[in-house]
Amino acid sequence: MAKTINIDPVTRIEGHARILLECNDAGTVEEAFFIVNELRGFERILVGMEAHTMPQVTARICGVCPTAHHLVAAKALDNAAGVEPPPAGRLLRELMYMGHMIHSHSLSLYVLAGPDLVFGLGGAAASQNIVGMVEHNPELSKKGLRLRSLGQKINEVIGGRGIHPVTAIAGGIAAKLTDAQFDRLKELTDEALTLACELAPVTKELLFRLFDDNPVLLDKLNVPSWYLGTVNGGKLNVYDGTLRAMDEDGRIRAEFNATDYVSYLAERTVKRSYAKEVFLNVDGAEHMYRVSTLARMNVVDGMETPLAQKEFEEFRNRYGRPSHNAILQMYCKLVELVYCCEKAGEIMGNPELRGPSRVAATINGKHGIAHIEAPRGVLIHDYKISEDGIIQAANMIVATQQNTAAINKSLKEGAINLLEGGDDEKMLNGLEFVVRCYDPCLACSTHAIGHMEFAVEVRCGGRMVRRIRRT
Amino acid sequence: MRTLVVCIGNDLVGDDGVGHEIFRQLSKRALPSGVRVCLLGLGGIDIIDHLDGEELLIVVDAVQLGQPAGTVRVLPWEDIPASDLRPVSGHGIGIREALQVCRRLYPDKAAQNVYLVGVEGSCFNELGTGLTDIVRRAVPEAVGRVVELIDSGPVDQPADR
Repeated sequence: MAKTINIDPVTRIEGHARILLECNDAGTVEEAFFIVNELRGFERILVGMEAHTMPQVTARICGVCPTAHHLVAAKALDNAAGVEPPPAGRLLRELMYMGHMIHSHSLSLYVLAGPDLVFGLGGAAASQNIVGMVEHNPELSKKGLRLRSLGQKINEVIGGRGIHPVTAIAGGIAAKLTDAQFDRLKELTDEALTLACELAPVTKELLFRLFDDNPVLLDKLNVPSWYLGTVNGGKLNVYDGTLRAMDEDGRIRAEFNATDYVSYLAERTVKRSYAKEVFLNVDGAEHMYRVSTLARMNVVDGMETPLAQKEFEEFRNRYGRPSHNAILQMYCKLVELVYCCEKAGEIMGNPELRGPSRVAATINGKHGIAHIEAPRGVLIHDYKISEDGIIQAANMIVATQQNTAAINKSLKEGAINLLEGGDDEKMLNGLEFVVRCYDPCLACSTHAIGHMEFAVEVRCGGRMVRRIRRT
Repeated sequence: MRTLVVCIGNDLVGDDGVGHEIFRQLSKRALPSGVRVCLLGLGGIDIIDHLDGEELLIVVDAVQLGQPAGTVRVLPWEDIPASDLRPVSGHGIGIREALQVCRRLYPDKAAQNVYLVGVEGSCFNELGTGLTDIVRRAVPEAVGRVVELIDSGPVDQPADR
């Protein structure tokens, strides 16, 4: 029997997506797969490496959320060693992380999704990029870009580098900051909060207009699922806390520590997709769930800081709990952006920030697990370390992987309507928008930069019948 | 003349590392006062933070413009290709777009004259192999073109069209 092996070189590169649609003989879409190759074998690459290098090495998994990997790796080593960093160590890590989140969320809102905000979804494609956006709304662009840059600089002052930071280690933070660096952080965090407060009302106005103009999308992307996110005393904390699971009706069904993740998260390989799917295992059944800013807004009872709490209340009053619509993630990011700027200022005011920042930590022969809320959702690192301090086994659960089942479900529903239309360009745009709403950690979700490299394969009875591609 | 030289490239990725190599060579040379040289792994919007209203900005990067590998070209601002022609990296914003954003939002920071010194590469998908021989041999010429631009300034500098 003839067999075709399709090795698609573009999938090796971060930033490309492939969608597989499986149809029956009548041409109806039966299954849809969003195919991701994000981890690129890192779990295997880490085996045999020195465990203490994990914060530096795993940061290199991704240039989009390196600080999340850097810090969760350090936290997993803390857990292995059975130590807690001293207050200054924890505060500096959290402040570094606020910088990263500010950077990531402003990039996402004002650069990547910015054109959607400024132009809506129906404008002329040629002008819908950062240059067009800057021409059209220079004030918003300037503030958004500045906020991104401030976040990066906060991250850099503490982490040594804005991207791929180096200072978090087992037991705390290795760097000792000077008075001048603390002064600089104060300037950066003050300016960030001022900007976030100026941006919030303008951004909300644009978001509401986008939602009002696209009622069909709001309806189509309304996919009920379970949610998983981090709470600290019931409130949002992206650096640390317990994992809270909520069902599609908004009931809290479990709350657990990351160290118990194996009992709650079921990982499975899936037919024809490289990404493993993950399900929440609660009360003897497996449930499709999502992580992300939307998941966080659903599971938390409130925010730790006053201005963010106000924004949060407005969000919840408008959209309820849980809100299932992926398009609302842009709004959730705005609430979190205000939170992170405020929290950064709060940490700056904490006198414990200037104390000793590390304790001794022994990791040889230990097992360490930790989690963090990456910008796009729950991220778990799990290391088994030999007596010689070498990684024997590594497991990572990343945000995009946990959302894959929900992305596939949305794609299937979207594709059924779009395939019937017979317009390839429209189908690509429609499916692309569905994917972008989930904000997977791929540069391809960033349509603002050139064209998204994007391919859709339609198969019938295992045979490829069409391949639609835009490069 | 106040000049900024921005070298772009990742030394881990084949010929994309040529910007990094040129940065290393330039850093070893004594350059006239008022000339700053910096390295950016990716081009992108971060370039705005490095600009400070220089009279001359020289961007050094690997390019894929369909020339034979190792060809060194000096292009004026208007001829710098749009981002979809950028080699290798899918993420980051193209240098041209970043400079357009800078001109609009921070006109005081934008450089008055901009040139790209591009080295045509052939290998952009191998990790850790270093530059190809032909691109490595082009490094002295590219460094020479950067130094010429610094010395003669933008006014009488003939660009390769």
